[in-house]
Amino acid sequence: MAVTEHPGTQNSATPRFAQLLTKGLRSGATLGLPLISFAFILGIWTLVGLSGVVKEAIFPAPWSVWSATVEMWQNGTLQTDLAKSLGRAAVGFSIGGTLGVTLGLMTGRVALVRTLLNPFLNLLRPIPAIALVPVAIVWFGIGEGSKYFVVSYTVFLTVWFNTHHGMQYVPETYLRASRTLGASRLREFLTVVLPAAAPHIFAGIRLGVALAFLSLVAAELSGASSGIGFRLQEARQYVRTDRMFSLLILLGILGALADLIVHWIGKKLVHWEQG
Amino acid sequence: MMTDATQPKGRVEIDDVVIRFTGKQGRVTALERTSHALEPGTFTALIGPSGCGKSTLMNAIAGFVTPAEGAIRLDGRAITGPSPEVGVIFQQYALFPWFTALNNVRYGLKQFGLSKREEIDRARAALAEVGLEAHADKYPQQLSGGMKQRVAIARTFAVEPKVLLMDEPFGALDAQTRLVMHDLLLGIWRKHKATVLFVTHDVDEALLLADHVQVMSHAPGRLIRHYHLTQERPRALSRSGNELLEIRDEILGLLHPKTMLADAL
Ligand SMILES: Nc1ncnc2c1ncn2[C@@H]1O[C@H](COP(=O)(O)OP(=O)(O)OP(=O)(O)O)[C@@H](O)[C@H]1O
Ligand SMILES: [Mg+2]
Repeated sequence: MAVTEHPGTQNSATPRFAQLLTKGLRSGATLGLPLISFAFILGIWTLVGLSGVVKEAIFPAPWSVWSATVEMWQNGTLQTDLAKSLGRAAVGFSIGGTLGVTLGLMTGRVALVRTLLNPFLNLLRPIPAIALVPVAIVWFGIGEGSKYFVVSYTVFLTVWFNTHHGMQYVPETYLRASRTLGASRLREFLTVVLPAAAPHIFAGIRLGVALAFLSLVAAELSGASSGIGFRLQEARQYVRTDRMFSLLILLGILGALADLIVHWIGKKLVHWEQG
Repeated sequence: MMTDATQPKGRVEIDDVVIRFTGKQGRVTALERTSHALEPGTFTALIGPSGCGKSTLMNAIAGFVTPAEGAIRLDGRAITGPSPEVGVIFQQYALFPWFTALNNVRYGLKQFGLSKREEIDRARAALAEVGLEAHADKYPQQLSGGMKQRVAIARTFAVEPKVLLMDEPFGALDAQTRLVMHDLLLGIWRKHKATVLFVTHDVDEALLLADHVQVMSHAPGRLIRHYHLTQERPRALSRSGNELLEIRDEILGLLHPKTMLADAL
């Protein structure tokens, strides 16, 4: 009896502790690994700066980039540029994302809409955002309208495409089960089709966030008087590489943060997909 | 035509049905001309070689597939599509992973327009029938295969279908769990008295459960042999005398004629 009892108690005690330990290590690792990478790159960058082999104007050292950041912050441009750019990205993303999901649900479910729109939308997909900027400026002028248009167009196509395809992958057995359970088509759509397609829709939205930043900068690079893209362009004219670096790094951090947030929301909403 | 108003409901008539699919190699007959009736409240097991058309026949009764010829009727009315009168239990459970066990059962109850209280009570009662009341708030991913299939059974019976179709429902379960599921299924079936059609690859399973065993031929399938079993349940192949064992050998012979020959030599 004692022989069987011993491994039993051990089994119930060790895994709990081990679980906590591995969980702690893992979350430490997910936070720590990127930090190691950043520290590594920063280290090399510092060494390059200290050695003085590259001209500051071409490749500024970390401390120059830092003081450029402080400078832009102190004269207030950084805050306004960030606010402008984030606002544009948010508005464009909201319009494009909403349209993309709505139309994706329609082309995914309604044969007529699919026949009318899919070939055309697929033709638009390879057109890059930057190629659209001239048209946007003609249509909407140099103000906010053209920025919103370029961003929402780009986001829309990606979100539409992913939503549409997500709708194709709703497993047939779910629909069969739903119909033998006497569900109305509306309830089936809302509580079976939508959740079944949700992982794909969220994948599309996540891509959409990344593309919102990409297309935003494209739109701001030509024809804008504020925003990160504009400030980059301005820094080129004054050969302020330190400012460029600062803005690019900020752009990267903001994009990564936005991606993290969307990913986290998606994980909460599509909770059944894990495991 | 013996449709009498006083008769219990759930009579399935399969009338000269032929089912074809148009595939890459042209038209394929998946089910040869078949006529048969499932009497109300009976339990029929359908057994046959892989690809002979068992699932196809079942899908036609469920209304998922339309026959090329003939008609399938439920209590005299032609089946034109899926309906809650014909419940289906799938081999892969088909539970909605975004709903808890309770909400999976509630999904089928929505059509009755019950109050929320009543709907939850009925769903809980259905889960209790399969012994899962303690797991009502778990998601399917948190349940074992056997438990998932029990939720699926609760979900389907809660709707009170007249006919219940089961396509290898326990095929993915281990032998031990299967035996438990057999008892559970027979218990619930006795209470609800639906007409059951049960597809299986397992001859023993058919003999333990069914009133009628229908054996199908190799593809394109048709019904080739019928056994009416009257033995008391719960059955055990060893306890039921030689009769069930003899039937078992016959069916195995029908399913694998070559093996029989090899054994005889
Ligand atoms: N949707 C379909 N399209 C084309 N052919 C099909 C389709 N469904 C089934 N078939 C064909 O019909 C025949 C019967 O298939 P069915 O699935 O009914 O067999 P089964 O008896 O259920 O086999 P198993 O025991 O392996 O499940 C097979 O030849 C199959 O390839
Ligand atoms: Mg099958």
